[in-house]
Amino acid sequence: MKTMLALGVAFALIFTAGLPAADAATLAGKVAFEGTAPVAEKMAMDADPTCQMLHPDGAVADDVIVNSNGTLKNVFVYVKEGVTGTFPAPTDAVQFDQHGCQYTPKVFGIQVNQPLEIINSDNTLHNVHALPQNSKEFNLGMPIQGMKLKKTFTSPEVMVKIKCEVHPWMSAYAGVLEHPFYGVTNEEGAFEIKNLPPGNYVVETWHEKYGAQTQNVTIAGADEAKELAFSYKG
Amino acid sequence: MPKENPTLYSVPKTTMWFAIVSLILLGSLIWTVYADYAREWKTWQRQFVRLKLEKARAELAQAEQGVDVKKLEELNRRHAEAQKSLAARRAEIRRLQKDLAKRDLELGKVRTRAQDLKQYEDSYKYYFEEYRLHRDPRAAEYEAKLGEVRAEAEKVKRELEGLEAAREIEARQADEYQAGEKELAIQIEELVKAKKTAAAKVKKLNPSLVTELLNAPMLDFIAPTLRIQQVVLEDLRDDYHFIQVQKVDRCTTCHLGIDQKGFEDAPQPFRTHPKPELFLSPSSPHPIEKVGCTVCHSGSGHAVSFTEAAHTPRNEEQMKEWQKKYRWRPMEKWDAKMLPLDHTEASCAKCHRNVVEVPQAERLNRGRRMAETYGCFGCHKIEGFENRWKVGPSLFNVQSKVKADWLTRWLADPKSFRASTRMPQIFHLSNASAPEEKKINDAAIEGIAAYLMKNSDAAELAEPPVPGDAGRGRKLVEETGCLGCHTVDGKGTSRFGPELSGLGSKTSAAWVFTWVKDPKHFSPDTRMPNLRLTDQEASDIAAYLVSLKNEAFEKTPPVRPEPAAVDWLVLENFKKTMRASEAEAELAKMSPEAKLQFVGKSSIAHQGCYACHDIKGFEEAKPIGTELSDHGRKDIHQLDFGLIHIEHTRHGWFFQKLKEPRIFDRGKVKAYYEKLRMPDFNFTDEEAGALVTFLLSLTREEIPLEMQRLLNLKEQAVESGRLLVSKFNCQGCHTLDGKTAEVRGFIEEAGNAPPVIDGEGAKVQQKWLHEFLRQPVTIRPWLTYRMPTFGFSDDHAKELVEYFSYLAGEDVSYRGLELPDVSLEKLGDGKMLFEKFQCVKCHKLDKASAMLGASFLAPDLVLSKARLQPDWVIEWLKDPQVLQEGTMMPTFFPDGSTPLPDVLGGDPQQQIEAIRDYLFRYAPDEDAPAETPPPAPVTPKS
Repeated sequence: MKTMLALGVAFALIFTAGLPAADAATLAGKVAFEGTAPVAEKMAMDADPTCQMLHPDGAVADDVIVNSNGTLKNVFVYVKEGVTGTFPAPTDAVQFDQHGCQYTPKVFGIQVNQPLEIINSDNTLHNVHALPQNSKEFNLGMPIQGMKLKKTFTSPEVMVKIKCEVHPWMSAYAGVLEHPFYGVTNEEGAFEIKNLPPGNYVVETWHEKYGAQTQNVTIAGADEAKELAFSYKG
Repeated sequence: MPKENPTLYSVPKTTMWFAIVSLILLGSLIWTVYADYAREWKTWQRQFVRLKLEKARAELAQAEQGVDVKKLEELNRRHAEAQKSLAARRAEIRRLQKDLAKRDLELGKVRTRAQDLKQYEDSYKYYFEEYRLHRDPRAAEYEAKLGEVRAEAEKVKRELEGLEAAREIEARQADEYQAGEKELAIQIEELVKAKKTAAAKVKKLNPSLVTELLNAPMLDFIAPTLRIQQVVLEDLRDDYHFIQVQKVDRCTTCHLGIDQKGFEDAPQPFRTHPKPELFLSPSSPHPIEKVGCTVCHSGSGHAVSFTEAAHTPRNEEQMKEWQKKYRWRPMEKWDAKMLPLDHTEASCAKCHRNVVEVPQAERLNRGRRMAETYGCFGCHKIEGFENRWKVGPSLFNVQSKVKADWLTRWLADPKSFRASTRMPQIFHLSNASAPEEKKINDAAIEGIAAYLMKNSDAAELAEPPVPGDAGRGRKLVEETGCLGCHTVDGKGTSRFGPELSGLGSKTSAAWVFTWVKDPKHFSPDTRMPNLRLTDQEASDIAAYLVSLKNEAFEKTPPVRPEPAAVDWLVLENFKKTMRASEAEAELAKMSPEAKLQFVGKSSIAHQGCYACHDIKGFEEAKPIGTELSDHGRKDIHQLDFGLIHIEHTRHGWFFQKLKEPRIFDRGKVKAYYEKLRMPDFNFTDEEAGALVTFLLSLTREEIPLEMQRLLNLKEQAVESGRLLVSKFNCQGCHTLDGKTAEVRGFIEEAGNAPPVIDGEGAKVQQKWLHEFLRQPVTIRPWLTYRMPTFGFSDDHAKELVEYFSYLAGEDVSYRGLELPDVSLEKLGDGKMLFEKFQCVKCHKLDKASAMLGASFLAPDLVLSKARLQPDWVIEWLKDPQVLQEGTMMPTFFPDGSTPLPDVLGGDPQQQIEAIRDYLFRYAPDEDAPAETPPPAPVTPKS
């Protein structure tokens, strides 16, 4: 009974430590897309019959994905300037899968020294070639279906390109940051950055094709829920 | 009558004179003693003692601060208590000690008794054994004696043990009484140790009557603390006006902290020498006892005063400061003046001979490279650099490349065509700026152009056989490797070959086409390699390059000299060997063309154009420049400073000469052929400075062989290779030998850059490398850059193979690879791994894969067995990124793990070996290796 109690207390402590400070805000918003969505190029997967079989109807390029509600998917949104304090790297790994000869997620954020678990779900050879400028480059061959490897980035960098040389159409981008204040737009074009303490910030959005935009944000405090709107022109 | 004074002199006068002379004598004695005593270096040594004292005091203060006062007080208190209780027990302890002494006496006695008994025992034993052996009746007697003595010995032994045990108890008791006090004393000592050491140091350095006395005048011959320090260099000599004297460096008399740690920020002359790992420290390659100071810095080593040591100020400002502070003046009589700090590297070359670059001597190396790039060796003979090459293009076929008008414009002002050109300005310089002289220069230019047009061959040029596309041509220029050596239109960074911008204003498409198709066709000795371009590629490149024009240059009017100026030049030449009237008669006979040709030929001879270019009629001509082999020691009085007011130093003169080669003619009245001829290279201050360092490094000074950095045979071979690497600019494309490839500066993805070839000697087989260097083949089909064909001779290829092998610590062997013996089972595992890792997915060369992209063009693995070294393949498979940064080849064994734990016991090393062994038997037409092991299996290279 005593051990249970102790455990309970320990858990409570851990949770409270992980919980947002009482006066932290949530930054949410959408990234709109103006103009007509470019026609996605068909990807020739004939380099690898395995990939071709996984996409019997053919696959299209995933560099620009405009959602049905007129928003842009896979935009990396992060606090570029203004964050103070240190944020220890989470021990939970970011999952990065090679599935159907494509990367999932295509764009993601990760903290410095946070483990990145790379998975190969395909029954073919993939190589994961990360090309950071600030951290050590790695290039892993993953010939076995279901195999997993772990890697980390040791310095912040927006963005680190990751590519597969066996399948030249495969590319992904990782935003490596020293803090956890980032998000990626989803199928609704929405993003959310939680637990941001009060302060003056510069928020940047980054898109593989359309580049970066910035906005200044001031969080006054006390559970504020700030809405931000970005917009890219096609 | 008073007695007459018998002396012939007046006593009072004599006494007075005597007194005066005595006083003068005394004065001069005092003065002598004082002059001998008050020496400049003593002032510095006193100052250094003060500096050390300051440091020691600071250390003491720090040590005092470091002492935990509370802890010390507590310890002291406890120590005092312990001492008190010890005192109380003093009587008891004394008694114990007395008892112990008694006990020791007793013990001694018993111990002696035991030893005696042992001897008896041994003796009886011996006799007993002897008699028993010889059946002597005395045996029984000795047996009995032995028994007795043994029993006695046993008894004594027990007694001894008892005594020893008792003594131990008593001794422990005595120790116990004192232990607490001792332990505390040790702890206190430990706490104040640093402080005590520092305090001792301070005490030693503090001025004291003893040191004052030891250093006092008249007494300072006994054991002074201030004394001259010196390093005697057994093997080196100083030149004292034709007398060779053993080198003695007394610099450390004042530079007292030079080889000591901790004076890095001290004021001069006490500062620590930089880079102790390289200089002065006993473990460095240049220990002070062996090398001294003036070998590198020059100056007068035996001198012990600032001025006499021949210190050289850095600049005029410092000179003024020194004059004021130290009453400095230049040492007229000492030739080897100290080198200014930025030229010290010049001395490295004294001992580091026959090397392309001196390790870590950046500025000297830069100067050397500049001399090589700008072709100084063409005009100036320099011993040790005779194996350098002409830096300008051959003009044997120049009439097929450019037109006479282009030549005259170019000669008049090369930089107006290409700002980056290394062709110096020869005409229209400061000593030929009067209107009349300008006309004469123009005549010479026109003459040279006329001579070159007439005295060169018409090379066979091919018109581009297919229409070229400038856009494609630009892409080819940017992507096939031209930028490894050239810049063009803002692209590229290498200045090795000429800039290609504006080429359309210089030559024709036919010339460019013919040239790039086969440079050696036009110019057999050119260093430009052959990129094995197709007709279409060469046509495209020609179309692009001739589209680049320099319109401003084209608009410059060509040089048209006045006939009078041509006549004047001819006459001046004739007059060197004829009477004026004869010369005029000779001139009258000449046609205008003949005059131009004559002026051209004599001008080329006068300016020495053939030093950089091959020119017909000048194949055997001697270079026009002064020999520079001993210029680092050139007598300053032989340098003509003219009427120019600059500091009279070698480096000052060299710098001025390099910056403005004709300046020393200023203000002088000189005939045309007497004037200075060195052309203007438009060096920046920094470039000229590096060249000055190089010039100062040129000396014939004799350094004993044992002092030199001698090269062994392998090192010599590496240096020969380095010279070739520099001559053909391998590092333009390849990272090699500590230098990053020039092209890596602008190729975005490292995987698309030409390979890093550091360690190539350990990677490939020598036989293969030799063939490849002579006749390159495509290894990496995805690269747009091509390894060009340099047309290396067999000897050059051999030299390069040796260079790569020795650089990688390998031996040279042309025997080819001897494959290790491998079991069929392991080969089977290798094949399985090869398939599981899907190697052929990328390493498969057919037309279909070529369409898929760069990564499907990985090197053909069939090449491996003839190309690669087995040990290298192992390292490569472990982690390709380590050997070739940015490579597309992934690692299949990240962090020493394998994804296949079931094969070969999951041992990555074994798996890698199996793949390697399979790879070396991988056959071209089938996926399976040969079933039988190779004919001559031999053990692997150790």
